[in-house]
Amino acid sequence: MTQAFIPQIVIPTAQILVVILVLPLAIAYLQLVERKVLGFMQLRLAPRRVGWHGLLQPIADAVKLLIKEDIIPEKADRFLFTLAPIVTVIPALAALAVIPFAGASFTLGGYEVRPFITDVNVALLYLLAISSLGIYGIILGGWASNSKYSLLGALRSSAQMISYEVPLGFAVIGVMMMAGTASMVGIVEAQKAAGRWYVLPQIVGFFCYFIAAIAETNRVPFDLPEAEAELVAGFHTEYSGMKFAFFFLAEYTNMIVVSSIVTILFFGGWLRPFPNVAALGWLENGWLVLLPLTLGAFAGWLFGLKTGRGLPPMAAGALIGLAGGFALSIGDVAGLATLSVPFVSGAFWFFLKVSLFLFLYIWLRGTYPRYRYDQLMTLGWKWLIPLSVVNVVGTGLGILIFPGR
Amino acid sequence: MSGVTRPIETPRTSALRDLLKTFLLLELWVGLWVTLKNQFRPHITVEYPKERVELSPRFRGVPRLRYHPESAEELCIACHLCETVCPDDCIHIVSEKKPDGKGKRLVSFEINYERCCFCGLCVDPCPTKPLTAIYMSHDYEMADYKRERFVAPLKVLLDGTDPKDYKE
Repeated sequence: MTQAFIPQIVIPTAQILVVILVLPLAIAYLQLVERKVLGFMQLRLAPRRVGWHGLLQPIADAVKLLIKEDIIPEKADRFLFTLAPIVTVIPALAALAVIPFAGASFTLGGYEVRPFITDVNVALLYLLAISSLGIYGIILGGWASNSKYSLLGALRSSAQMISYEVPLGFAVIGVMMMAGTASMVGIVEAQKAAGRWYVLPQIVGFFCYFIAAIAETNRVPFDLPEAEAELVAGFHTEYSGMKFAFFFLAEYTNMIVVSSIVTILFFGGWLRPFPNVAALGWLENGWLVLLPLTLGAFAGWLFGLKTGRGLPPMAAGALIGLAGGFALSIGDVAGLATLSVPFVSGAFWFFLKVSLFLFLYIWLRGTYPRYRYDQLMTLGWKWLIPLSVVNVVGTGLGILIFPGR
Repeated sequence: MSGVTRPIETPRTSALRDLLKTFLLLELWVGLWVTLKNQFRPHITVEYPKERVELSPRFRGVPRLRYHPESAEELCIACHLCETVCPDDCIHIVSEKKPDGKGKRLVSFEINYERCCFCGLCVDPCPTKPLTAIYMSHDYEMADYKRERFVAPLKVLLDGTDPKDYKE
């Protein structure tokens, strides 16, 4: 019993704690990035007052939300009103349990730590089931608030989520057929064995999945449930303080989960680009250079000189990162270059891809207007569902005609 | 942004082109490209307390009085023209005969900024040449905590106010 105690109880618990503790911080800064990107798209500056270039803004926001008065409307159903944010946030967090963050495991104190909390063979079904649970929180919150705006938002949300659940499920089937498994790790391993990302054969599936997933997470251009121009704030109109923070947390967790799923299903998870081209093997081991390069370019772009913002500071940041990376790898400071390369490299590629999808989310938000309700339904039922069904049939035919590919 | 207005071109449409446009989501890509390009353009935000917009020369801030260019006295000759023309009746002048008997001089000159509409009509009839005694200054930060402080006495009108730190 003692032998199984640490690997089976302590390590998963520690992993869960790490995920739950790191996630709010990541989300807080994701929100800062979102505000920055949206600001840049509108030629604004975005938060710059709290801390250097607004770097402490998320902390200030979090503190504000925590110490704000927690208002429960007089006529609201107190129990359900309190329950709703919890019901929303728990499935969002639970979905992270099956997301593998890297390929190889690493050893810590003699015990093998795998880069995911669990790997179940029905991970994909689990994710679909869990993500559709989140809708209950929204309906409960909208109904319990005893406000017309909340109720309308919740009704829209439920109709929208039920419509888009269908193409979401169908879009995933193509990947499952090609990989022959529903385990997240298994799907990436299958892509590794096939030597390519599934986005190429499954481009239609990817398209359907991503659009349906944006609708599932209630983000622009499908943010009808919280359409601020029409419904004040939709289902969370009456929420404030901690409870509002929970809804907020759930929304951004769902964004991260969806980006992770897209990365794993269609973009090879922790695999490097072109996993079949051996000449690009340096991409696998080059994280020590590539990571500073990416971070430098990102920082240069985000915090670039105020007036001359644009490509020059971005390039400068990338160059500094590149130089720093080379200095690190040549100097081999603290044995960084040999530090469990497969794990770190996998994590690097995974998080890079996830970040790109999160950026895509924000990019779409900065670009597109909101869909009208009937347009939303038209897109879901008349386009996405037939398209995803055709994709399933096409994938089946493809597997039949080119077996072993 | 360029300021040049071009005539709106009527696009030539064909069924095939429309179909392609719809299926390749061309307009959506155009939109994405616009927002992506914007990321690399300089911002247009002015960070107000730190930076200020350059005012045009004829900007009409709060009306103030000028000193005489050669003496330390005010330039105003107490003709009451500005008081007469003011549509809001916000100027209040008290004057007396000069001791030497020629002309008048100010006893007090008050402008009620609460009523002032910044029309600049008081400047037009001002008879002092070449500089008008009353002028529209470039001050525009005039928030305050007490209503009484909006009635500016002669000293404030001549010297202006110190920059406020807006703390009571």
